[in-house]
Amino acid sequence: MDSRVIIAVMIAAIVVVGAVSAIVLLDEDESAGGTVYYVVIPPANMRDALATGEVDGYIAWEPYVSDSVVGGVGKVVLWSDEIMADHPCCVVAVRNAFAASAEGQELTTRFIAAHIETTEWMIEALDHTSSADYDKLVAMAVDFTERNESVVKEAFKHLQYKYQMDSDFISALEHFTQMYNDTGILDPSKITERGYDSISDFVNTYVNETYVEDAESIEPSSTILNPNSPIRLGYLAGDLHQLAQFVAMNATMVDGSKSIFEKYGLNVKKAPGAPFAVGGAVMTAFSAGTVDIGYLGAPPAILNHLNAAVDTSIIAQANSEGSGIVVGADAEVDGLRDMVNMTVAIPGTSSIQFLLLKTALEERGLELEIKT
Amino acid sequence: MVNNLLTLLKKTLKGNWQKLALTFLSLAVFVSLWSLYAAWLHGDWPFEGGLIALTVPYPREVLAAFVDSFQNADVNGITMWGHIYASLKRVLAGFLLALAVALPAGLLMGRSSTSHWLGRPIVESFRPIPPLAWIPIFIVVFGLFWGPVGIVFLGIFFPILYNVMFGSRSVDPILIDAARTLGAKKSDLFLKVVLPFTLPYLMTGITVGLGIGWMCIVAAEMLGGVGGGVGYYIADRAGSQDYEYMYAGMVVIAILGTLTTGVAGLLENRIYKWMGMK
Repeated sequence: MDSRVIIAVMIAAIVVVGAVSAIVLLDEDESAGGTVYYVVIPPANMRDALATGEVDGYIAWEPYVSDSVVGGVGKVVLWSDEIMADHPCCVVAVRNAFAASAEGQELTTRFIAAHIETTEWMIEALDHTSSADYDKLVAMAVDFTERNESVVKEAFKHLQYKYQMDSDFISALEHFTQMYNDTGILDPSKITERGYDSISDFVNTYVNETYVEDAESIEPSSTILNPNSPIRLGYLAGDLHQLAQFVAMNATMVDGSKSIFEKYGLNVKKAPGAPFAVGGAVMTAFSAGTVDIGYLGAPPAILNHLNAAVDTSIIAQANSEGSGIVVGADAEVDGLRDMVNMTVAIPGTSSIQFLLLKTALEERGLELEIKT
Repeated sequence: MVNNLLTLLKKTLKGNWQKLALTFLSLAVFVSLWSLYAAWLHGDWPFEGGLIALTVPYPREVLAAFVDSFQNADVNGITMWGHIYASLKRVLAGFLLALAVALPAGLLMGRSSTSHWLGRPIVESFRPIPPLAWIPIFIVVFGLFWGPVGIVFLGIFFPILYNVMFGSRSVDPILIDAARTLGAKKSDLFLKVVLPFTLPYLMTGITVGLGIGWMCIVAAEMLGGVGGGVGYYIADRAGSQDYEYMYAGMVVIAILGTLTTGVAGLLENRIYKWMGMK
């Protein structure tokens, strides 16, 4: 029995050592020439992952890009507008059941009127960087993103706030949907399954321009129209692209005593679960019926509607551009081609950043694969 | 060879037909209730009322997604086989590390009063903290592979430690005295009395630990998203609300959990036979 036990322990030890070594050794990367690898990390953790060397780079939305740049941790290799000029990013979406009633329709139109006025104020402020409005905007952005002034000011330079949904916007969304089809992210049969004839039919139906149009004739209201049933607002945590809703909520915007939402007679509250980490989470909340109006990226708004028939519509744009690919500050990387065999963090495969990274790499004849 | 297998199969079925019948009945009821609920959500027969949500797909849709996930690569470019391999690697590494540390520590703390009181405060402080709470810090400190492995380690470590400690402590003193009377040395006592006695407790610890280990790896992969893995797969599909495939991932976890505990049970029987305990 003695010797058998000793032999058993020795065999066990060899197995353990062998297994662990095998796992460690077999895990070594095989350079596949022309491939960039990705991992999924929440954007809030990307800067740390870059700083500790866990990843070689990341792609995220502002302020997570300027976070690293201003902090000296990273530098930008490519801005998203260099990948796709004026690409749509965040949109405003509404839960169709909420807007179905006459009251819901009125509230939604007023919400868009507030969104438009806020967006125009922000654009004006950003155009006059020595004005008091600019300082006020920066202060609000610092509050919302919990980043310092230099990060926020730097981030503002690379994104555009806009509410219009013109033909370029429509074509860009059609392009995203086509990309989803081509890359197998979306099953093409889902388009017809949801009752659309084609991608073009889908985008033109899913994007509803009537609220932006009707908002032009909306007048401010001295009373709150929905005092007891607030609009439940969804948005992403600290996402500078979605600053409009934060500015519109600020109680000092109108004559120093009212918010822009209140100016248009709206009671707006954070939805349960807000702020969300990624756009997919906003869509899940839409399907659970806990969000009435939400800010999120256009791609999850498209993808999740097609996959899970989430009954929403896109009713305004929130911003375009404003994402970037970041690498270490000292990295010898001048362009994407220098990033072959590197590992890049992405927010998730349903994010626009994933699509943009894929587009940029494919244009350079490179592959994007998950790191295993 | 085939004849022997068929005879064995017939014998097993004959002896256990009641158990098998009950198992099938239970599964059939579950699948029927699931289908009914899905039908209600989808607004299909026998319910009218239109689509409520697609959050629960039909069992046959999940089955189709399950099969498809093994045959075709997903958006990440890997099949379910690749995801299973990634998760298994991490669970195995965490399990082996936990076993290597918890087994000797448990034996020591069970047999030596000094070790017990030395180790107890540390163990008691860390045990109540859910392994999942360590995920953010482990990912930063240990990285994208060893971070999740560390979480699995924590999940499996404590059940094994406690069971081995309890087992080695509860060795019947009469057996120890009897062995001493027969002239057993200290090493004999340990190898021939304490260790065999502790073995059933160790196996319980391993079974419980493995279940917790699978829970930990799924959660760790969801939050760390380290590139492949069944937990990552589930979170990825959930993000796109690709529900059929998300549930398929959950079925994979159920199967993997059952398989690993089954293998542990088989090993347990083998070890008992070899040690002459059965």
